[in-house]
Amino acid sequence: MIHTRRTLSRDTLWLIVWLSGIAALAVWDTLFLNRPALKLLIGGFVNTFCVALMVIVVTLALGWATTILLHSLEKRKSRIGYLIATFVLNLVRSVPQVVGILIGYVWIAFMIQDGTLRNQFAVFTVMACCMSLFIFLELVDLMRERILHYQRLDFYNALLVCGVSERRIVNFDILWKNSRIHIFNKLISIFGMAVFLQCSIDFVISVGLSTDVSSVNLPPTLGSLLANIDSKQDILAIGYTLTHPGYVGNLFMGHLQGISIAFVIVFTLLSVYQVANGYAERHRL
Amino acid sequence: MKQKLLEHLSSLLFVSAILVAVLAVMGMRGDAGAAKKDTLTLALQSLPLSSTRDAFHRALLKDVVNIYYPGQYDKTSATVDAVIQQREVDFARSLQSSHVKERLTVGRFVQILGMYAKFLVIYVLVLALTYYGVQTIGTWRFVRKKARAESRQPRHGLARIARAAALGIPKALAYAVLFSPAYVVAYSVRTEFNTDSAFFMVLLATMCNGLLIVYSNKFYAFLTSESRRGYVETAMAKNLTASYGSNAIPLKAILRPFKKFDGHVFGHIFANTRQQYLSSVKEQASFLITGLVITEMALNIHGYLSYEMLRQLLYKNFSIVIVILLLIFITVKMTEILVDVKMHRESMRFENRASTGGTAA
Repeated sequence: MIHTRRTLSRDTLWLIVWLSGIAALAVWDTLFLNRPALKLLIGGFVNTFCVALMVIVVTLALGWATTILLHSLEKRKSRIGYLIATFVLNLVRSVPQVVGILIGYVWIAFMIQDGTLRNQFAVFTVMACCMSLFIFLELVDLMRERILHYQRLDFYNALLVCGVSERRIVNFDILWKNSRIHIFNKLISIFGMAVFLQCSIDFVISVGLSTDVSSVNLPPTLGSLLANIDSKQDILAIGYTLTHPGYVGNLFMGHLQGISIAFVIVFTLLSVYQVANGYAERHRL
Repeated sequence: MKQKLLEHLSSLLFVSAILVAVLAVMGMRGDAGAAKKDTLTLALQSLPLSSTRDAFHRALLKDVVNIYYPGQYDKTSATVDAVIQQREVDFARSLQSSHVKERLTVGRFVQILGMYAKFLVIYVLVLALTYYGVQTIGTWRFVRKKARAESRQPRHGLARIARAAALGIPKALAYAVLFSPAYVVAYSVRTEFNTDSAFFMVLLATMCNGLLIVYSNKFYAFLTSESRRGYVETAMAKNLTASYGSNAIPLKAILRPFKKFDGHVFGHIFANTRQQYLSSVKEQASFLITGLVITEMALNIHGYLSYEMLRQLLYKNFSIVIVILLLIFITVKMTEILVDVKMHRESMRFENRASTGGTAA
């Protein structure tokens, strides 16, 4: 592993680029965006990233637990148990993420209306669980691949002969000591995926289900803010600028709310992608 | 292969059975509810009460009920009030939802099948385009990098800065489009272009949502790791063309839909990489469906399957939602089956070739 590079690695560079970009936008918006819109934007940004971070935590827990479950079922030669588990997981895999999450979100909105979900933290947690349910299999695949890879090497059998328990070998020696970089890299990608899915679902729900399951019920996120009529008009102004280039200056002053939200989403997705790729390159994954 | 097919088919049957069962249960509940309501309504309608809002009719109803149940004035009065109130609520609700409540009829099912056919055409087109695009972009990046490394003419100073400045803005714009969720791009150009057409849908689903860039990068990574394998050096030692400079692999060959690089070591690298890439096509197809569903829903265009699903979800017409869900699930499963069959065939072909001394796997 290379840890002593003098030049900045691509992932660090893109992390700095992302932080600088967001900081520059924050300064610009503080100067030129009206207070209520700025407050909404900050709220949406914080909510979106809180849920995305929670998705990472839930995905990690769910992925790790499922990997261990599958491994132990396989080891115990419990053929039926293993077949049922893989059948269920493959079934979840075949549901397009957006469809599964959309149904989950509608269910959350109904729970909010019923009063079952009352505080924001509970809503975020259930949102994160819904998303994780349709993302965590990517992590399971990676972890199982790593276990399989190390099982083929000598050290697995050597450790078993030395009396180390299999649970410790899998959890500590394989997954933690030798795969945490791979897992971390996957989690970075999952973060990007969570931001994309959350913004998209919130946008879709706010645009399409605007009467019954409205954005009033769900905490505001970047997606629901983008679906806001003001933001949509700001985005439409980009199209106008294509045919009237002289209008470009107004985008950064008069249409700041929508442009800022769209910028945060796109810039975050791009940066996360670059960070994940840079990290993989740096660690030769 | 048989086991995989069996698994796919059993999960298809399992999910279909569950969804059809839910559909049947919902249908029965709906009928039971309707029957219950009808009995109540009939009971009221059988009484000489033409308008529940008319005070005279209300008083008349109470008097009649009191004659039938003498000595229970308070109880019967409260019951009649409750029944009348419920009847008013039911009437208002039925008026409000009369234009949105739908049941799954044969006509509606055929209409949904039409939307599904449109969805399928767009899906197949986008899948084909991204399949081609991923391989073309990945190959082009790989060949260009190799050619540059061979030419050994790194740009310094002003030339580098000038090039970066000239390419910077178009590159940033291209990245912005490639990584943008499709609805951001669609709304950005909505005032100038008609974004409601199937053509635009195909364009958005192919270019946006990060699909093309993520998977072309994956293909590029596969090419890079494949090019480090031992057989590449063996091929070079056996004098197979391995140079990428001086247009050894022309752009025309890279852009070809069915790529072949005969006589060049890259031909073998590409064939082996394509084999690896096939395994991620399932994942790519699933992500593509996600992107397509988001795009259709976000653009709110009538007559598209995903928008219809969203609309029916809003109106709580769950029987129609279930049918649409089943159709989408069938699409995913059929894609998985086709990819597995293709992979199986390819691996069989590769194994045969390996035994006759062909491309190294």
